Amino acid sequence: MSEGLDLNLGDIDGLEQVIDREALAEVCRSFFDLFGISIRVFSRTGALLSDVHEEQAVCRYVNTLSEGRRACGTTVTEVKHIGATDGVVVHPCFTGANYRVVPIEYHSRHVGRFVIGPYLPAERTEIPKTLLTVDPNIDADKAIAALGDMPRVREETALRIAHHLRNIVDLILFSSHRAHLTSEMHVASVRESYRELAEKNDALQSAYNRLKELDQLKSNFLATVSHELRTPLTSIIGYSEMLTSGIAGDLNEEQNEFVQTIHDKGDHLLSLIASLLDASKLEQGQLTLNRVPLDAGQLIRSVVTTIIPNAKKKGIAVESQVEEGVPTVIGDSIRIHQILQNLADNALKFTTKGGTIILGARATEMMDDDGGGFGAVLMAASKPAVEFRIEDTGMGIAQDQVERIFDAFYQVDGSSTREHGGAGLGLSIVKRLIEAHGGSIRIESSVGVGTTFFVTIPEAPDTFDL
Amino acid sequence: MQVDFTARELTVKLVYYGPALSGKTTNLQAVHELVSEDSKGRLMTLETRDDRTLFFDLLPLTFNSKSGLKVRVKLFTVPGQVIHSATRRLVLQGADGIAFIADSQRSETKANQVAFLDMQKNLRDNGLDPAKTPLVIQFNKRDLPDIRTDVELDALAKRGREPVYKAVAVRGTGVLETLIGLLERSWAQLETEHGLEEKFGLVPEEVLAEVRRQLGAVETEEGPQ
Repeated sequence: MSEGLDLNLGDIDGLEQVIDREALAEVCRSFFDLFGISIRVFSRTGALLSDVHEEQAVCRYVNTLSEGRRACGTTVTEVKHIGATDGVVVHPCFTGANYRVVPIEYHSRHVGRFVIGPYLPAERTEIPKTLLTVDPNIDADKAIAALGDMPRVREETALRIAHHLRNIVDLILFSSHRAHLTSEMHVASVRESYRELAEKNDALQSAYNRLKELDQLKSNFLATVSHELRTPLTSIIGYSEMLTSGIAGDLNEEQNEFVQTIHDKGDHLLSLIASLLDASKLEQGQLTLNRVPLDAGQLIRSVVTTIIPNAKKKGIAVESQVEEGVPTVIGDSIRIHQILQNLADNALKFTTKGGTIILGARATEMMDDDGGGFGAVLMAASKPAVEFRIEDTGMGIAQDQVERIFDAFYQVDGSSTREHGGAGLGLSIVKRLIEAHGGSIRIESSVGVGTTFFVTIPEAPDTFDL
Repeated sequence: MQVDFTARELTVKLVYYGPALSGKTTNLQAVHELVSEDSKGRLMTLETRDDRTLFFDLLPLTFNSKSGLKVRVKLFTVPGQVIHSATRRLVLQGADGIAFIADSQRSETKANQVAFLDMQKNLRDNGLDPAKTPLVIQFNKRDLPDIRTDVELDALAKRGREPVYKAVAVRGTGVLETLIGLLERSWAQLETEHGLEEKFGLVPEEVLAEVRRQLGAVETEEGPQ
């Protein structure tokens, strides 16, 4: 069997559960004003919910007599004890008046009752004997005079009045019940939606935790594998070097060329492995920077020198544009060089014959929080910085790819037959190295026109103290 | 189902489920129109401004039985729109039987399927076994063009376990048949689970005959499609 909300959903136990007492009191008051008949509304359990009455003269009089008072008490008790299953009951009083007790049903359930009266049925023409004999000391004239003040209603009218009142109460009940259910459903729905969201959040959180674990595993794996690969590779490079240097005897030209190829490819492999190691170190935050003051112009010139031979081979012009007054950068010389070299190599890789590569540096300022945060106008402190610029006239990067090129292992051309090689780690390492220096990187690119990388490195990081 | 011994009444909860705009509320409105004054209560509709059901509709019906126990049947609808999933689950709690109101239009076939899967999920989430929940299926809107044909539906009905009813709820056609069919199935399940005949002297055939009489439905030999 079911329990809980579903059954309360459709049912009410009593009038008082949903009905507004103020509204009920108003209805009873206007009923009394209209017909002059007292009205009382009781809950299913017999509690009085509304009471608008006027003590009748005859009641006042008989209550001054001891037997009269007792008889009156008996009548009231009888009226109160009329049961829910008795239907509409017209209960006579010894004074000749009537009480009409009407059950209130809702959704075929008894939820309360109302009592109208006492009223004198208009059909009654005689003074009842029960009134005149209720007490030995009764003054018949006084009693008859007092009874004359009682409101007189024909039974048929009383029936219609009761019917009308029942309709009004039913309407109030229906509206109240509707409002009651609506608010219950609102609360229940919100609670249910909250529960659902909480469950989803938990699932997402555990998926996130799992991913973090996997990420950690991946980094560990990279570190281990790179390290293990490097050891035999060093031997390969070392032995091929020894062979070319003639330690093991002279090599003919062809042998020398083959061994040189082994050596070159070994070197290339070593640099790839070094990238992997860098990436995993950066991810785990294990990379330490050896910070020293660096001359930005010197850095640019050094990178230009390294790429010029290859640029000449490809027929690409290289320019250097270092502005006056570029400040000194505090950073790790090898790493900053690595950043610029990587971006310059990239520019060279994606620029075709006849193109131009420009490497520049200029003084700039940078904001603590990228300048876009809440209240940044007031809060962000600007600090001197150097902006390096690596500009090419290559193929460019589509706007939807720009955000992703810094992801590890991401390639703009992800196909297995892609034209340009590489592990897809370069830019991810570049970005992390820049961030490790407290700097930032941004890209301006348009497809077919070229790409410019702007690397901003603060003159001195916040935590750096010379 | 709920039994109140002091009030001598037994309450059965039936839910009209189905995709948005398939005619669940219209079914209840039609039942409300067709049922005699003595048996029905007011139809309560909790709707939004665009006349879509927000939480549910509720139609209480009351039947007397020979045993003296009052049988109250509460018909609920659920809101059809996908976003009201939490409400549907709440309304479905403790359902004794479900009438699935499907839209006969071909274009709505997918929506019917999605709603049916949603119902199964919500039943399970409420700890109810879909396979054991009394279910009837109504194909509504038989008066519209481009609907699945009678031949198709009859063939499908033969393959399925649930009785299939065809209806035009806006005209009241097939509405009482669906309700009575659902009550029959639900009562049979309640009888199996709770032994109503033995415990309360509620003889299934007598109760259902009385329901049919009070619903003003003519008893025919013809069953569902």
